[in-house]
Amino acid sequence: MKTHELIGHVDSDCFYVSAERVRHEHLRHIPVGVLGNQGACVIAKSYELKARGVKTGMPIWDAAPLCPDAVFVKRDFRWYEVLSRKLLGVIRSVSPQVEYYSIDEMFFDASALREPAENLQQRILQEVGIPVSIGISRSRTLAKLMSDVRKPFGCCTITEKDAIENFIHLQPVEELCGIGSRSTRKLHQHGIRTCWQFTQANRHFIRKLLTIKGEALWWELQGEAVIPILTERKKHKAIARGGSIGRPSTDRERLWAWTVRDAERLIEELDFHRVLVGELVMKLSYKTAGDWSRSVRFASPTGDFDKLLEAAHRLHLVACLELQGQAVTHIDLIAERLCDRGAEQRSLFEADEGNSSIAQLKRATNEKLGRFALRSAATLPLTDIYNDEAFNYDVCDIRDKTCF
Amino acid sequence: MCDGVALSWREIPDELIGKHGLQRRLVKRGEEADREVQFLQRDRQPVLPVWAGGQLWVWTWGPGAQSRLPTNCCCNNESLEAGRWSWLEPQPVEIPASYVWHKGVWYQTVGGIRGILVYDALGIPHVYVLTQPASHYYKVMTRSDRMPVFLGDGI
Repeated sequence: MKTHELIGHVDSDCFYVSAERVRHEHLRHIPVGVLGNQGACVIAKSYELKARGVKTGMPIWDAAPLCPDAVFVKRDFRWYEVLSRKLLGVIRSVSPQVEYYSIDEMFFDASALREPAENLQQRILQEVGIPVSIGISRSRTLAKLMSDVRKPFGCCTITEKDAIENFIHLQPVEELCGIGSRSTRKLHQHGIRTCWQFTQANRHFIRKLLTIKGEALWWELQGEAVIPILTERKKHKAIARGGSIGRPSTDRERLWAWTVRDAERLIEELDFHRVLVGELVMKLSYKTAGDWSRSVRFASPTGDFDKLLEAAHRLHLVACLELQGQAVTHIDLIAERLCDRGAEQRSLFEADEGNSSIAQLKRATNEKLGRFALRSAATLPLTDIYNDEAFNYDVCDIRDKTCF
Repeated sequence: MCDGVALSWREIPDELIGKHGLQRRLVKRGEEADREVQFLQRDRQPVLPVWAGGQLWVWTWGPGAQSRLPTNCCCNNESLEAGRWSWLEPQPVEIPASYVWHKGVWYQTVGGIRGILVYDALGIPHVYVLTQPASHYYKVMTRSDRMPVFLGDGI
């Protein structure tokens, strides 16, 4: 594992809003909210909108009354990816190693950076049009903490041990990437409220409390880089497709249509990564009954769409039986127990698989004419969704990100 | 459907702003924000900016004081196609807009929305916003079953 003397973190300021402002200048300096896949929730907000009390994830019917003059924009992940890749290109031009962490955040080896972070920030603004905050320090955890603290449009470079200690003295421990609400509670119970207190705790105690991941943070806060920059994404342990289905529904046909849509998107991803699925999990969220999930194990790992669909259908029927009349809000299909194509243990009791001619035709047609040009008839109840081009490209379709 | 549109003041010639007293409709959404002119249906005399014949106009939105004209401010695209407006000899027009206001939500449009132009008995032009069934996204966003016909990408 290669460690770096200095690691930088570039974090775009309200990325989706900034991306919209690149192509629509009139959106500058006004409260702007970008709406998510269904048009219901604010997935990104400008600082002007944030100042009016609107939070990410808030439904538009709550957000609009809080800020009646806000302008809401439909998301466009194709455009956001264009700018994200451009941002990646600029950072790659100054660093030999860059991690494409997420659509709007990147880590890079800053050891050989020949200019102050402010210059890079200005260059990104000029070439990409996106304001970013940059943190540079001795580990990625510190770099991220620094860019977060200096937002918006700030830069923070702290590399000396004493200065790092001063910096983390007052930073709340929950600001650390990887410390969620549960870990925060645990740390608070032991009187650990700041990053500095975290570094003063016994390393073995932290490992016991927060596992090896907590220990890694402990090292990183000491200025010891133990979490590397990943220039390539690690192999997926699981691949999921799904999400909100818009208005809650009890309509079986519509629910099945969403499931088939997710299965078609899932098989695309399995094909791309050249992996087979050993277990298919269906997870549903209900308006009132919480979450439900069941899975089907395949006799041998498969990449056959018909088998995947058959398994999804069995799960769909079980869900309909077990949760009659409950309105579904989210459907997710998760492919687990993945293995590389060609490396699977074959079953003695199943015929050699291969995608059906219909599945092959569908793939070939869509490669030629565009995604979803040919799709299962079961998805017909979602024609309104397919008619909306923006629906056909989601943030999860942007590949190579390392964060999930 | 549509309760109002907003257009950057830069896109409206000074002459039109003066002629139609649009200064009082000038609004800024933030201190450093660009000024925009808001055309709202709830105004005492609702008007809309309209591109027609290669020129920008400001015309009455809906029937105004003309009781002979349809009383809505919008024209249902299905009824237009069915010929129910043909007695008025409607002409298609473009309504430039940076933002549209509907059911308390301002949203961005790229290009603007479509409308129709009709003349009353006195030869005075009136504009109606053309509407269509709402997309899934639009329905969720505004909780409305109808939306304007957009010039550029829909919502």
